[in-house]
Amino acid sequence: MTAKRIGFLINPIAGMGGRVGLKGTDDALARALELGARPTAHLRAGETLIRLHGLLERQVPAVAVQWLTCSGPMGADALQAAGFTAVEVVYRGAKTTTENDTKAAVGRFLERGADLILFCGGDGTARDICAITAQEVPILGVPAGVKMYSGVFGVNPARTAEIVVGFLTGSLAPTSVDVLDLDEEKYRQGEWAVRLCASALTPYEATFTQSAKALIAASTEADVKAEIAAYLLEIIRDNPATLFLLGPGSTVRTIGDGLDIDKTLLGIDAVIDGRLTGTDLNEGRILALLDRHPRRKLVLSPIGAQGFVLGRGNLQITPEIVRRCGRANIIVVATPAKLARTPVLRFDTGEPELDAELAGAGYIPVVIGHRRRRLVKTQL
Amino acid sequence: MAEPTVYELSVAGRQGVDLPLLDVPESPLPDGLARADNGLPELAQLDVVRHFLALSQRNFGVDTGFYPLGSCTMKYNPKITEELARLPGFARSHPLQPPETVPGNLALMHQLQQWLAEIGGFAAVSLQPAAGAQGELTALLMMRAYHAERGETGRNQVLIPDAAHGTNPASTAMAGLDVLEIPSDSRGNIDRQALRAACDDTVLALMLTLPNTLGLFEEEIAEVIDLVHGCGGLVYGDGANMNALAGVMRPGELGLDLMHYNLHKTFATPHGGGGPGSGPLGASDRLRDYLPGPIVVAKPGAALEAPEYAFSTPDKSIGRMCTYFGNFGVFVRSHAYIRMLGAAGLRDNSYHAVLNANYLRVKLRELYPVPFDRLNMHEFVCQGRPEGSDVRALDVSKRLMDFGFHPPTNYFPLIVPEALMIEPTETENKETLDAFAAAMGSIAEEALATPERLRTAPHETPVRRLDEVQAARQLVLIDPVTGRTAVEG
Repeated sequence: MTAKRIGFLINPIAGMGGRVGLKGTDDALARALELGARPTAHLRAGETLIRLHGLLERQVPAVAVQWLTCSGPMGADALQAAGFTAVEVVYRGAKTTTENDTKAAVGRFLERGADLILFCGGDGTARDICAITAQEVPILGVPAGVKMYSGVFGVNPARTAEIVVGFLTGSLAPTSVDVLDLDEEKYRQGEWAVRLCASALTPYEATFTQSAKALIAASTEADVKAEIAAYLLEIIRDNPATLFLLGPGSTVRTIGDGLDIDKTLLGIDAVIDGRLTGTDLNEGRILALLDRHPRRKLVLSPIGAQGFVLGRGNLQITPEIVRRCGRANIIVVATPAKLARTPVLRFDTGEPELDAELAGAGYIPVVIGHRRRRLVKTQL
Repeated sequence: MAEPTVYELSVAGRQGVDLPLLDVPESPLPDGLARADNGLPELAQLDVVRHFLALSQRNFGVDTGFYPLGSCTMKYNPKITEELARLPGFARSHPLQPPETVPGNLALMHQLQQWLAEIGGFAAVSLQPAAGAQGELTALLMMRAYHAERGETGRNQVLIPDAAHGTNPASTAMAGLDVLEIPSDSRGNIDRQALRAACDDTVLALMLTLPNTLGLFEEEIAEVIDLVHGCGGLVYGDGANMNALAGVMRPGELGLDLMHYNLHKTFATPHGGGGPGSGPLGASDRLRDYLPGPIVVAKPGAALEAPEYAFSTPDKSIGRMCTYFGNFGVFVRSHAYIRMLGAAGLRDNSYHAVLNANYLRVKLRELYPVPFDRLNMHEFVCQGRPEGSDVRALDVSKRLMDFGFHPPTNYFPLIVPEALMIEPTETENKETLDAFAAAMGSIAEEALATPERLRTAPHETPVRRLDEVQAARQLVLIDPVTGRTAVEG
């Protein structure tokens, strides 16, 4: 069998800011070093690779991997230490690496036909990689950064290694997930705002469903999203002359596919009677639509890895908009696999009273399939 | 080694049977209908006998070994019930025969209805549903009819705990209703705070698997039932796990409005081969009029005469759920089984089913984590990943086959990662349970010392591990006549 190619890179400075109380490392390396930060990413990478090496040795039939990586601390050192030999250095980084090194390295990986990009870093690294991969090649992160709101990370190094094996053996199919990062400009102005920056493919565990008495079938994330979308289409059909505000994220975007409209991934779009009536709306335009349409529904999905339904990646939906829609008109959608990663849902509109109202009696119904909802715990 | 298919064994010209002499005038087939080759395999009788005997010897069933498949109640089915079902009076009666010509059959059905009603604590029972899931669907249709008659057509939500049988949401979808899943709490009970949040005037019913798929009895069941009744909803019991309760408690007396029984589980009729099943439905007084018909009713006979039996359909019945009268052959077997055991025997069965499951839980819990480690009913759920190992439940199950045991149910319920659901049933003795526990112990040791032995298991079976992912994603269809192959995926 032909070897799968994995592009592997470490952002050597990832995570350094966290230990010294900074909200990231990208723009603050000098400050982090000054505060005594030491590199930690290579330790997390090492843990993952050693585990992966052990798992791959035990695979029957054998799985061949060809590594494409960067020189020294950006990848080659860790692969060598873990015992991998089929390693080709395709990029030599600068002494002090920056986002440009990440992007250039990923460019080389793609040129060389990488099937998967495994990286060690945080949200910033994920964002830089997505800028190059653009949903073409799946990516997977070893969690090592300060911020990890994005859905591309394994929960820990060991689990990340298992996901790589699942991808290589074909048992885990890639699905699209959200990539988020701190809006650094707003942050410098003193505001904590997490922005949805992109969508990326990542190998994802299938959802188990009981299809017969003792037969458990696995359905892919794409199947489950399509099922949720089919149900939302029925709701849109059954609610004529109603304004549907469709929030950001890949799950909600699938609804657009069913309506045959070009739903923006990162923005809020409006639909009435199945027709697109506004796209990538800001607060002002949403409020204007709400003035004209007394019947309204707001469709949201938890964004990122922490289960925020509001307050991360959808800041266009201001407290006033939420209030005018009303809790009863909010439809939350999420796949069971996503809920398994974010078992508690949160609201952070910036107004604690509104957050409490949204959290309700501690549970909110979430659409998880066709005519199928689940009560999910809420937390303030 | 794989046994070839009959098509692979076929050799042109071989013959297994002689057709009887023609006793009607010979007449040619219409033009264009005759084929030179009809694609049927050609084998001698001995080839056929050896082929099917070889296959039968590779079969695994309760009659060949321990079969702890959780949620399926794979207990031993006494052979005498097979003999009784084959009595010509039962086996040869025809469903279109006038009912008055088969009074014995009607008497048997009537008695079975009465017994099941008594065992479950219900006012009436219909034998119509031909499977457990059809019993669920029947119940949902009845509850919808009940609410509709009261003008409450806005009730379309069915509350289903996440430890319920997976067929419950499927039946709800089939009935055109909406599912609202209720989480479990840390003891494996329904999270009552969530249930409270869900109870409103849109609730049609709660579907309560009793005991649930964790093998646990709902500790605050009275409060759960009150909450749902309090908002105007009904409570349906999934009685598929009745093997823990028969003869011990009557769910109807707790306030359950409806419950189906699985005759092919609790009442010992063959299953696991896709049928025939039987899922009779018990109803409380307020729902009995909606039961599907026909139901057998008895008119007391004159002095010293036997009662007269007849078919009758309740006033507000939702109608038939199957043609004719349900799976009659299954009724005969279950009737004989209940009659042999009597009330005390049924109760002892439940006790032993619960005892066996608790015995195994306690024997295995040091090796395989049990997330809800409390007194269980007829089954329990542990995790197929011994502490410190990284094998999966599937690996443990595959390795069990090398020890001659059927694997437990894998990956269900979904709320327990790496779930192994183990239901030993009452018909297994202590030696078998000990042998199973010993095998699980050896496997736990292997999981740490030689995990690849598990990952590549089974090693001793005629067919080694199948690639289940490939099997599900890439179907290969072969037309035996033309030999054409179609690959999907």
